[in-house]
Amino acid sequence: MTDFEPVLLANKTKDRSWTLTVYESGGGYQTLRQVLRHKSPQDVTKAVEASGLRGRGGAGYPTALKWSFLPMDHPGPFYMCANADESEPGTFCNRVQLECDPHQVLEGIILSCYATRIRRAYIFLRYEYHLAYQRLEDAIKEAYAAGYLGSNIAGSDFSLDIFVHRGAGAYICGEETGLLASIEGKRPYPRSKPPFPTSRGLFGKPTVINNVETLACVVHILQRGEEWFRSIGTPPPPEDPKELGSFGPKIFSLSGHVNRPGVYELPLGIPCRDLIERHGGGVWKGRRAKAVVVGGISTGILSCHELDTPLDFVGPVRAGCLGLGTGGVIVLDETFPIVELMYNGCRFFAHESCGQCTPCREGVPYAFQIVEAIRGGRGRLVDLDTLLEISQNIGITPGTTICGLADGAAWIVKTCVNKFREELEDYIRRTNPTGYKRRLPLGTIMLPPGVPAGIKTRFPKTLPPQGTSALSRSSQETGGN
Amino acid sequence: MISENSAVGRQFLDDELRRAIESYFPRYPHRQAALLPALHLVHQRFGFIPREAIVELADFLGIHPAEVADVVSFYSFFKQDRPVGKYRIWVCRSLSCACRGGEGLLELLTQKLGVAPGQTTVDGLFTLEAAECLGACDCAPAVMVNDKLYGPMTPEKAEQLLEELRAAPAPEVTS
Amino acid sequence: MAIALVDGIVVEFDEREKLNGIQLARRAGIEIPHYCWHPGLSVVASCRMCLVEVGKHEPTTGDIFFFPRLMPACNIPASDGIVLVTQSAKVQQARAMVQEDLLLRHPVDCPICDKAGECYLQDYYFKYGHKQRRTPWHPFTSRRKDIGEKITLFVDRCIMCSRCVRFTREISGSGELMIVDRGNEQVIDIFPGFPLNNKLSGNVVDLCPVGALGDKEFLYKQRVWYLRSHGSICIECATGCALWVDENQDRIWRIRPRENPFVNKWWICNDGRYAYPYIHSPQRLTTAARRSPDGWRPLNAKTLLQELSAFLQEKERWVAVLSPFLTVEEAYLLARVIRQADPRAPLVLGYVPRTGRDETFPGGFTIAAEKCPNRRGVEEVIGYFARDVRPIDELPQVIHRHGAEALWITGGCRHGWEPIPWLEEIRELKLPVVLQDIFPSPLSESSEFIIPGATFAEKPGSYVNRHHRLQMVRAAIRPPKGVLPEGKLLWQLEGREGPYDPAAVLQELAEDIVYFRAALGPIPETGVDLRVNLLANSATDASNGPAAESMTIDS
Repeated sequence: MTDFEPVLLANKTKDRSWTLTVYESGGGYQTLRQVLRHKSPQDVTKAVEASGLRGRGGAGYPTALKWSFLPMDHPGPFYMCANADESEPGTFCNRVQLECDPHQVLEGIILSCYATRIRRAYIFLRYEYHLAYQRLEDAIKEAYAAGYLGSNIAGSDFSLDIFVHRGAGAYICGEETGLLASIEGKRPYPRSKPPFPTSRGLFGKPTVINNVETLACVVHILQRGEEWFRSIGTPPPPEDPKELGSFGPKIFSLSGHVNRPGVYELPLGIPCRDLIERHGGGVWKGRRAKAVVVGGISTGILSCHELDTPLDFVGPVRAGCLGLGTGGVIVLDETFPIVELMYNGCRFFAHESCGQCTPCREGVPYAFQIVEAIRGGRGRLVDLDTLLEISQNIGITPGTTICGLADGAAWIVKTCVNKFREELEDYIRRTNPTGYKRRLPLGTIMLPPGVPAGIKTRFPKTLPPQGTSALSRSSQETGGN
Repeated sequence: MISENSAVGRQFLDDELRRAIESYFPRYPHRQAALLPALHLVHQRFGFIPREAIVELADFLGIHPAEVADVVSFYSFFKQDRPVGKYRIWVCRSLSCACRGGEGLLELLTQKLGVAPGQTTVDGLFTLEAAECLGACDCAPAVMVNDKLYGPMTPEKAEQLLEELRAAPAPEVTS
Repeated sequence: MAIALVDGIVVEFDEREKLNGIQLARRAGIEIPHYCWHPGLSVVASCRMCLVEVGKHEPTTGDIFFFPRLMPACNIPASDGIVLVTQSAKVQQARAMVQEDLLLRHPVDCPICDKAGECYLQDYYFKYGHKQRRTPWHPFTSRRKDIGEKITLFVDRCIMCSRCVRFTREISGSGELMIVDRGNEQVIDIFPGFPLNNKLSGNVVDLCPVGALGDKEFLYKQRVWYLRSHGSICIECATGCALWVDENQDRIWRIRPRENPFVNKWWICNDGRYAYPYIHSPQRLTTAARRSPDGWRPLNAKTLLQELSAFLQEKERWVAVLSPFLTVEEAYLLARVIRQADPRAPLVLGYVPRTGRDETFPGGFTIAAEKCPNRRGVEEVIGYFARDVRPIDELPQVIHRHGAEALWITGGCRHGWEPIPWLEEIRELKLPVVLQDIFPSPLSESSEFIIPGATFAEKPGSYVNRHHRLQMVRAAIRPPKGVLPEGKLLWQLEGREGPYDPAAVLQELAEDIVYFRAALGPIPETGVDLRVNLLANSATDASNGPAAESMTIDS
């Protein structure tokens, strides 16, 4: 494993790595030329299928399988959406990729579109990535000028247009169907599946949605062959042949309380401890890790005893987490209170919930209010059970929401309560010595009378002064009676 | 679509802006899809999305103003009430930044600027915003001013940044 | 036929019907609770109330494979071998959770909410909710906001099912409503300056599963549990939408659409919805009277009958005007009564109000330009008796040619008689007129007899809409004192025994008139399409020869 040579981030250290000249000098777009000249779309799909490439965006769905769902008899047009709306807290690998090596992503998109016979692709980029946007736009211009985009790419009869579509600060746009609605100019509500995007997606047409890192992997699979790809990572265990295995390199984003935060391209299946100790330079200030968010905040946490978990598609699941997620690893040291982690996570998901499904719209803020009460010293032991109950019942895993956003909140709450229950109970006893045992819902999470929960001010710390209370405000609003 | 008038004013969407929006039309099969790029253009021009601009934009794209406002209100980037300040300061408060002092940074800036997150200072110079993950966790705690990232920040650096911005000439907004 | 299993009950269905889980369960007699799903709107599956366990029957092995996740029944296409479980502990827990979530910030202001009593949130809470509220906060605000001429919004009662938003985008096509903000701060709203004033706006009130959208005409007027609903038909245009007339002690408080997939689906327009106050107008004619040298002489039911029979015999040459506001039965009875008095009396089609053009909405709903309910039915009745349907504009010529001595005119339009070009001519002829109408008019002032008529809500009968669909109406309220419903009067005038029985009259005329033959036998709630049997009959009748002529009218 020590001799692992990064491919996705190989150009990162080069000077002006985002320009076409540098990319081409490193052998860039050669794969595209070769494939267009010698391989059929089926060959590309077969190679990707044989490589066992799974989506890097979070769900880990086999890429070739997704492509194969495109209907054969549809008159088209088909669309490709490259998902670069990377808003998961703790994840920034797509940003680094697009800033340092946009051409690699473009080549991946072109190859994937060739494999799926798609003529138009959109890159959904989150608005916060200004530098990435500029470099991507420049790269697209260069690619058009060099004949890698547009009609008759590199002399073949394959044509493709790529457009960048920028978001505007909404986490839910990273969900594939929310992303589609956002491009369509509608409120980015995720859609209920079925129908799946591969049969009815963007503008009602069959659409493939892949993460940009997944698409970048396609370049290297075709360049170095599927055998090379399968030689990296963890194969499926022999006793479970249904398992798909985790092959290939993955860019991990390491942040939090480590000495060297940053992006690290490593084989899938690397133990979490290795990533932190060997590559990240260990926990900062000489402290020990208490918990590690394993793959972006929505996947839940590993406790310090589970640091040997291999970071592949199954390891975190065995450790009680949602999955590998985006590979955004956040290390938290021994001084960081777990209740803060829950508070931060729940606030994020309550803020980013699109508000479509009831269990997510109401349930996540509900959990957040309970966590906030615990953090504010108004917790009760029974609240932990309520939190567990909520977290077990919301999300796409039990099936109560359309998309997986609520799962993020659920897993943060669930893993924290399960793995750090003692600490949380201690905290509640310590901060609420008079009320921690109370079971009846009396005044523990009291709202001032008349203030609608979560309407404008969630939980004002102080009661509004007499006379300007929300009650009198609301009576003005109802003046039309 | 708009029932009472075909003569929607053109005071906000002038010809230049319309041309810029029109340049997005070929990218999509129908006009409504150009809504988000159009909103970015409007926001860039005015610093917020004026109500009249929504009406004009809706007329231009052939949809109802409510459908535009529906989208505008969803995204946290768009302001609807008044223009943002010259510098829009986003302070990341997500876990990676929060665990390295992002919350404290936000509090500090709130005090220094005298505004709550989401508000603009009286002199129209700064708008403070609490961001949910700027995707810059490697330089946590991160701060983004307009389109430029700063990090890792410390309270001292943040104060220094404010001073620099106050002294600096008008920024070039490039995107 | 495909087979599905819902809670152990076998349901047979046709896959081409494209049912979803909720509809499938209904076939088994099981109601799956739901908020956001509505058969007339697109599926968003966002309320998550209709979650069920779904399995698939494997025909080769006989095993049932259950999906690990709960699924929204509204978004499950019914396919062969599908298995739904709607009562398991898992499902019940999910339902209780959704109910709890919805009520977290709901004001629970049922005592002042119009919807109380027919509110889904209330009903489902008692059926599926937790027994006790465990959250300690009790938000009570009930912000009200006017969003249109007729519609008001109670912001905090909303459960964000988005039915109303989808309605304005998909059915009315006007798109006024939107969702503002996101997450749990989002609310329904209009864009300032663009109120919800489209012609179908009233439907959003019926669509709202809770009390968030209120109808200003109905607001704070009645508690719904005092209301009784009666099936009826809208008479405001030739579409003939099916209605529920909600009344309390002979006063109508509300008109709602009644589902009829063949006519109006689930919608009605505001013209029909808000027209009812005229029924209770104090201006209505309520006293039968006969002109005498010293003014009007009021008549009671008995003397009216006597004097009318005498008058009918006294005059030999009659002309009758059959209003398109009459029911089919009334038109038939009137034609018979007049033809008894004068066997060659011409029958003229009454005043057919028209305004503008047909208005069709993107969802397919159409408001007809023809503002009367039964032109087609009355035309067919006239055609049977007179073979020749004359419009009312030709009335003077008809009178002249026939040498009429007396006129029988029926009205019933709430707008009265529009500027009538022939009115002066009639006046100059000094013909005695027997007038049945609901409001006083220039015509009623110069009549010999004034007979107060009943409105559609006050009399039973049937109407034929412009697409040849015959629908039955029951009387929703009793007519005001003094009003003699046309059918009842004519029934007695013809000398029939017993109480007025429109069903018997309909059977009689269905036997007489080929066009109405499909109405033989019981009429379903959704009415019958008279064309169906007409086509079948025309094949047989054409060979038989007679009676085919009545079909030629308005085909």
